[in-house]
Amino acid sequence: DWDGKVSEIKKKIQSILPGGTWDPLYDTSYLPPERADVVIVGGGVLGLSVAYWLKKLEKPRGAIRVLVVERDHTYSRASTVLSVGGIRQQFSVPENVQLSLFSIDFLRNINEYLAVVDDPPLDIQFNPSGYLLLASEKGAAIMENNVKVQRQEGAKVSLMSPEQLRNKFPWINTEGVALASYGMEQEGWFDPWSLLQGLRRKVQSMGVLFCHGEVTRFVSSSNHVETASGEKVNLKRIHEVHVKIDQSLEYQPVECAIVINAAGAWSGQVAELAGIGKGPPGTLQGTKLPVELRKRYVYLWHCPQGPGLETPFVIDPSGTYFRREGLGQNYLGGCSPTEEEEPDPGNLEVDHDFFQDRVWPTLAQRVPAFESLKVRSAWAGYYDYNTFDQNGVVGPHPLVLNMYFATGFSGHGLQQAPAVGRAVAEMVLEGHFKTINLSSFLFSRFYLGEKVQEHNII
Amino acid sequence: MLKIIIPTTMLIPLTWLSKPNMIWINSTTHSLLISLISLSYLNQFSDNSLNFSLLFFSDPLSAPLLALTTWLLPLMLTASQNHLSKETIARKKLYITMLTLLQLFLIMTFTATELIMFYILFEATLAPTLIIITRWGNQTERLNAGLYFLFYTLVGSLPLLIALLYIQNTTGSLNFLIAQYWVKPISTTWSNIFLWLACMMAFMVKMPLYGLHLWLPKAHVEAPIAGSMVLAAVLLKLGGYGMMRITVLLNPLTGQMAYPFLMLSLWGMIMTSSICLRQTDLKSLIAYSSVSHMALVIVAVLIQTPWSYMGATALMIAHGLTSSMLFCLANSNYERVHSRTMILARGLQTLLPLMAAWWLLASLANLALPPTINLLGELFVMMASFSWSNTTIALMGTNIIITALYSLYMLITTLRGKQTDHVKNIKPSFTRENALMALHLLPLLLLSLNPKIVLGPIH
Repeated sequence: DWDGKVSEIKKKIQSILPGGTWDPLYDTSYLPPERADVVIVGGGVLGLSVAYWLKKLEKPRGAIRVLVVERDHTYSRASTVLSVGGIRQQFSVPENVQLSLFSIDFLRNINEYLAVVDDPPLDIQFNPSGYLLLASEKGAAIMENNVKVQRQEGAKVSLMSPEQLRNKFPWINTEGVALASYGMEQEGWFDPWSLLQGLRRKVQSMGVLFCHGEVTRFVSSSNHVETASGEKVNLKRIHEVHVKIDQSLEYQPVECAIVINAAGAWSGQVAELAGIGKGPPGTLQGTKLPVELRKRYVYLWHCPQGPGLETPFVIDPSGTYFRREGLGQNYLGGCSPTEEEEPDPGNLEVDHDFFQDRVWPTLAQRVPAFESLKVRSAWAGYYDYNTFDQNGVVGPHPLVLNMYFATGFSGHGLQQAPAVGRAVAEMVLEGHFKTINLSSFLFSRFYLGEKVQEHNII
Repeated sequence: MLKIIIPTTMLIPLTWLSKPNMIWINSTTHSLLISLISLSYLNQFSDNSLNFSLLFFSDPLSAPLLALTTWLLPLMLTASQNHLSKETIARKKLYITMLTLLQLFLIMTFTATELIMFYILFEATLAPTLIIITRWGNQTERLNAGLYFLFYTLVGSLPLLIALLYIQNTTGSLNFLIAQYWVKPISTTWSNIFLWLACMMAFMVKMPLYGLHLWLPKAHVEAPIAGSMVLAAVLLKLGGYGMMRITVLLNPLTGQMAYPFLMLSLWGMIMTSSICLRQTDLKSLIAYSSVSHMALVIVAVLIQTPWSYMGATALMIAHGLTSSMLFCLANSNYERVHSRTMILARGLQTLLPLMAAWWLLASLANLALPPTINLLGELFVMMASFSWSNTTIALMGTNIIITALYSLYMLITTLRGKQTDHVKNIKPSFTRENALMALHLLPLLLLSLNPKIVLGPIH
C-alpha cells in the first residue's frame, strides 16, 4: 500500500539523518567470523587437540582458518576437567594401545609440542605410578590375551600372581584375584586442566579463532546420487553453521567447508542437528550416532592408614577403581554403575548413597585399610558414552561428507586426545590415516554392525 | 558508437522491467548481442583511427579493449547466477544494474577522445566497483578492501586532474587526436617532472605498480566473482591504456623519469611471482599473478619502442581473458567447497574431468605457452627490454620460470593427488560453468590464429 510505503521511507530517512539512533557500523567483535574453513564444535581437550594438529600439519603455514565453538567457557560441565585424569596402555583393542602410547609420548614431551614464546612451560603433574588391573578366575585368560596384545604394540606391562602382588603391595587383599597386570612405564595420571589450558594457549598462538556460543543449526545442501547397485542415497554437505551467542537470540551464520564434531557427551545432539539418524532404522540414513551422556561419580576421601606413595591406579574386577591424589593420604575413586543403576544425567548432582552402597564395600574388601575412611568431597562428570561398543568414533560420516567425528570415547577420551587429534587432522588434510590406522573406528561400523568391543572399560 | 552506448544504457531498464525468471536470460543475451556489435570495430584502418564523432573514436589499441569489455559482461552475468540465487529480486536487479553501469563507463572510457572525459569516466568506474565489492563481497574484510581500493585510486588520480587541466591551458586542447600533433617536447624542469608524475601516478596505481599494489590482492579476494572478473580483466587495463595515451604528451621526459618505475616493475614482477608460490588462498594467488603480468606491461609502456607497445597490447588482452577465466575456475571451486583454501579441495581431476581440462588450459595460457597471445606479448616485451638493456633478460627469464612454477603448483594442488573425503559429494560441473570457460577460452585460442588484431596501432 502506497501510504504505508511512503511512511516507511520517511522513517528510514529520518533515522539516517544526524541525531538519529541508527548506527550501521556497530561493534560485532563478539561474533564469530562470517567464514571459516573448519568449524570445530566443542572446545574440550579433543576439539582443541584436533585444532592443534590441523594447524600443525597444514602444509603451507596459515592456510586453514579454524574456528572452535565452545558453549561453556568455564568448562563447568565438560568431561575433560571433571575427569580423573588417568592414562594407561592396558586396553584390549590394539588401536587403543597405539593411541595411548602416542599420547603419553606427547604428554612426556609436552613442552616441545605446546611451547608458546614468552610463556612459562607447562607442568601437567604427571604421576607415573602405573595402573594395576586385577582379574578374577574368569577374567584371567582374557587378561593374559590382552597383555599379549599390549606387549606386541610396545607397552611395558607385567603380569603378577597373587603372591607377587602381596609382596609388592602388602596393603592389597588378594582374595578372589587370580592375575594382575601392572603397567611398568608410561602409565599414571595427570592434571587435565593444565593440559586443556596448555592446548588452549598454544592453539590461540597458532591463530585458531575461538567463539563462545552454541551451534544451533547446520544448513546443508544435498545431492541425490545412485550407488552402483541402483539404490538412491542422499549425500549432504554442510555449508553453514549457525552459532548462537550465549544468553542472546543473536546468531551468526558461519560459512564453512568442514565441521568437526568434538562435542563430547553432547555429540549425539549435534549429530542430530546435522540430520544424522533421520531415516528408517536399519538403513545408513537411519543410523544415529550412538553417543549419550552418562553420569559418573568421583569421590575423594582421606585415609591416614592408606596404601602409600607408590599406589598405582587400582582397578578391581568388580569395576571399582581408586588412585592416590596428592601427598596427604587422599585417594580418589569410584565405580561405574551397571546398566540398571544408571543415574539420571540431567544434572551433575552427586549421589552419596552410591558410595556407601556400591563403592565402599568393594574398596574395603580389596584394601582393608579403607575400612576407615572419611569422604572429603565428591563430584560428578559425564562420559561421552558410546552405547554401541564403548570405543571412539573417528573420521567422516559416510553421508554427511564434511562432518568428521572425534568423540564417543566413553571415559578414555582424555588419555587418547593427542593421538586422536592427530588422526582426525590427517583424515581431514590427507584423506587417510597416516600414523595410526583407525579405520576400524569409522562411523560405518554402526551400520555394518562391526563392534570393536573394548573390554577394559572402567 | 551510439549503437553500443544506447543498447548498453537500455540494458538497465531491461533488467528492471523483466519478469523475475527472465532477468538473467534477457540481460545475458542482450549483452552478448552488444558484444557482437563491438567486434565490428576490430576492422580498423591501419593508418588512422576510426572516428565516430567528436567525442568517441576507436583505434587499433582501444578496439580490442572495447571488444574485451563488452565480451566480458555476458560472462560476468553468467558467472554471478549462482551466488545471487538466494538474494531478492530487487537486489539481483541492482547487481546487474551496477555491472551494466560499470560496463557503460568502461566503454565510454576506452573510446573517449577528450582526455577530461576519459578522466571523469575513469573515476566514475570506481563507484559501481566499490558498491559491488563492499555490498556483495563475502567477508567482513571487504570493507577494508573497498577502502583500500577507493583511496589508492583516488589519491593517485587527483594529481592527474590537475595535470590535465594544466595541459588544457597550455596546449589549448585535450582532444587526443589533436593533441598528439601539437605536442611540444618538454624539458627536464622540476615543474615538468611533477607534471609527468601527476600524469602517470594514477595509471601506475591502477596497473598496479609493485609498490602501490596493496589494494589489489584485497580487492580481488573480497570481491564477488563478477567484481573479480571485471577488476582483473578490464579495470587493470584502464591503467595500461591510459599510460599508453598519456605518454604521447610527455616526451622526451619519459626517457629519464621512467627509471625508478622500470626498476620497481622489474623487481616487483619477480617478487609477486614468488609470493604466488607461498599463497594458500586460491584467489589471492591469481591476484598476485595479475600484478606480475601487469608489471610486464608497465615495463613495456615505459620503454616506448614499437615492439614493446605491440607486446603490451597483446599481453593486456591475453591477460584479461586468462585472469578472468582463472577467477571463474576458482569461483566454481569455492561454490562447491565453500572454502578458498587450496589444500582443502584437492584431487578434483577424478571428480570433475572437464573442469580439469579447463583448469589445464587456463594455467597453460597463464604460463605463456606457445602459440597463445600470452606468449606473444611476453616475448615482444622481453625482446624490447633486452634491446633497452641486456641485463633485463635475466630478470625476465627468472619471472618466466617462477610463473611456470606457480601455475603448475596451482594446477597440481587443485587437480592432482588423492581427494579428501569431504569433496566427494560436490556437484558435477554445470553447463553454465562449462559454457563460461569455453567462452573465455574461445577468443584466446582464436586470437592465437590471428594475433595481428590485438597487436595495437603500431602493427
